[in-house]
Amino acid sequence: MSSLTAQQRQDLIDELPRLKRFCLSLTSDPSDADDLLQVTVERLLEKGMPADAHVAKWSHRVCRNLWIDEIRSRDVRTRYAQAEGAIEGAGTTTENSDESVQLDRVSAAMERLPPEQRAALVQVAVEGCSYAEAAAILEVPIGTIMSRVARARKALTEDLEWKAEREA
Amino acid sequence: MKDDSKNVVDMDGMRVDDDHLLSMYIDGELDAERTISLAGRLKQEPALRARLSAMENSDRLVKKLYASQSADAGQALAALIRSENVAIFKPTARWREWATGAIAASVMAVVALSLTSEQSTFNPMTMDVHLAQALEHSPSRASGWEQLDGARDFRSVLTFPAADGRWCREFMLAHNESHWRGVACRDEGTWVNQVVGSEVFLERETQYRPAGAGDTEKVARFIDETAADVALGPQQEAALIASGW
Repeated sequence: MSSLTAQQRQDLIDELPRLKRFCLSLTSDPSDADDLLQVTVERLLEKGMPADAHVAKWSHRVCRNLWIDEIRSRDVRTRYAQAEGAIEGAGTTTENSDESVQLDRVSAAMERLPPEQRAALVQVAVEGCSYAEAAAILEVPIGTIMSRVARARKALTEDLEWKAEREA
Repeated sequence: MKDDSKNVVDMDGMRVDDDHLLSMYIDGELDAERTISLAGRLKQEPALRARLSAMENSDRLVKKLYASQSADAGQALAALIRSENVAIFKPTARWREWATGAIAASVMAVVALSLTSEQSTFNPMTMDVHLAQALEHSPSRASGWEQLDGARDFRSVLTFPAADGRWCREFMLAHNESHWRGVACRDEGTWVNQVVGSEVFLERETQYRPAGAGDTEKVARFIDETAADVALGPQQEAALIASGW
């Protein structure tokens, strides 16, 4: 039986959209993100959390650790092949909306980012976390967050510019 | 700007370039002195302004991308979280292959099977040699069925230790258009049904739905009250089966 309190349950429900985005930032794959979110919630219900735990931080930590467990268990070469295929496919879109094309580009570019950079960028740029808050969630030093976010923005921006120039 | 050797400054022992400064500027993480300095440069350097604009546009697209992909987050999960009588025996995940160990007492919608003369004289859950053999030897699985005999299909769902030391298995049977779920425990070499039920609705194995007030949830309650620990993982279960329990 779960040991979550009623307040923790409500906090966890409120946290779901943000947790979903965190899953996406880790996996860069919507299906994997759905699965990771499901497993994270199940783990939290199964194991509970301390009464004084910060639900957002705790749930993000559980989520991140589950994803680390998962990627350790996967065949790296298979994942690489799938990622390559996804990248190739991303360039063949026939979307006729400029915004859709841009979102496709940014989705592909985000997928190409190293996972740790992607996660840092999403925490800061999407969730609005300070570097200190992102560092606490991702369990790395603040300086590392600063560096990862900057490198992610640099890579993302240059990727999008290069893509736009190539397709112009 | 793409030459990282240009405009590199030292910041708290770290060498950072313009992209780092712009990134920190966007995030409001630059101190006042460096913010003023960078603002001055932005007025005078079109290339730097263009770079900042490109970064901000990237951020805008990333926000939009993640907002669109998380718009449907968690309605089903919210229902699961709200359910207080939920016991998770093993996490469910497609990417784990070994799935469907989650038992939601409020979800399984199991109606107690009345093994009476009111129903067909054929009771698919009767513990016969075929069912006992399947319980003895078949590994648990997340999906699919194995043919038990001419009339029934079998799937073991999970294996768990009971508080009294016996090993128990939750299993499913399919007969005609009906699904049946039960728990049998191994008692001195013999599998004995402990509780059985017919499933009213179970559209997807991983879907959680609240049970109606009239549902008895006997199977879920039995597991909840009997299990001494979480369900075995596939390797543990395989070892147990190979050892003859």
